Amino acid sequence: MKKILVILPAYNESGNIGATINDLKSLDFAFDIVVVNDASTDTTAQEALKAGARVLSLPVNLGIGGAVQTGLLYALRNGYDIATQVDGDGQHDAQYLKVILAPILAEQADIVVGSRFIGPFQGWQSSAVRRIGIRFFAWLISGLTGYAVSDPTSGFRAFNAKAIKVFADDYPQDFPEPESIMSAKRFGFRLLEVPVQMRRRIHGHSSIRYFNTLYYMIKVTIAILLNMLKKTKRS
Amino acid sequence: MNVRLLSILLASVFFLIIIDLVRREKLTFKYAAGWLGITLLGILLAVFDKFLSGFAAKLGFQLTSNFIFFTVSCGLISLSLILTIFLGQQNSRNDRMAQKIALLENELQKIKR
Repeated sequence: MKKILVILPAYNESGNIGATINDLKSLDFAFDIVVVNDASTDTTAQEALKAGARVLSLPVNLGIGGAVQTGLLYALRNGYDIATQVDGDGQHDAQYLKVILAPILAEQADIVVGSRFIGPFQGWQSSAVRRIGIRFFAWLISGLTGYAVSDPTSGFRAFNAKAIKVFADDYPQDFPEPESIMSAKRFGFRLLEVPVQMRRRIHGHSSIRYFNTLYYMIKVTIAILLNMLKKTKRS
Repeated sequence: MNVRLLSILLASVFFLIIIDLVRREKLTFKYAAGWLGITLLGILLAVFDKFLSGFAAKLGFQLTSNFIFFTVSCGLISLSLILTIFLGQQNSRNDRMAQKIALLENELQKIKR
């Protein structure tokens, strides 16, 4: 039996977090849930505790990268075999947790990314402007890494023990979703995309706003290219 | 008042201000050492200004003042780059500490329960 942790990074998600945790808890297999409360100013932490999750409260806001890394550190310290990242805003359908876990359990991949742009499922696929951005980065990252990536901004992911160990120590902070795929290549991980369905968020605002303007597109492109030149820190 | 005297005076004032900052523990010696060196160099070059203008001419600067502006701006650009590097280091240290605090707090809650 593999020890599985679900990491829910959350910043001011009091309206979504409870339902997200309850959705996860209705699944028919065992795992622990840890909410990384990224210095929320609302009642996210209380709602998460009430719903029965463990809560790690960051004293200052670190952003999504720092929050996910906190969850990975927790997974490493507590000896989990698999960690999954599910966004705390309810965009990710808990039903698909099994789908992103499957290739890790079958030892076919070190990292699995859930993509809303492949496969038979057709859920919500983001706004038109963002889809153009996502398509550009999918093309760029696929070309640079050789992975078949269609949804580089997806935060619906699973990591095996090897990936947990490396990313707990060295996880990109600026634009973590696309950049971590570049890091995965540098660290020599096997990365696989699986089809998932996503929903439009119910409450609040998206934490990933960096795909909306040309300025950010250029910045993310530079970050991705620079990531390739980074020294590989192997632990 | 001539320029030379003004330069010596200003550099000396800076020198004294830095020593006072270290004395009042507003500046650590690690960072003060460089500043003290720069002010001393300023005083020395103002005193031996013949050397400075000779050196500038040898490098091909038509005016000594151009040489001074050039050197100072290069120095300031390097300094701001170094400060940005420090800032980045401090940032990642802070992030790391915040993560450890969150984990420790969680452990503490578990013990308390």
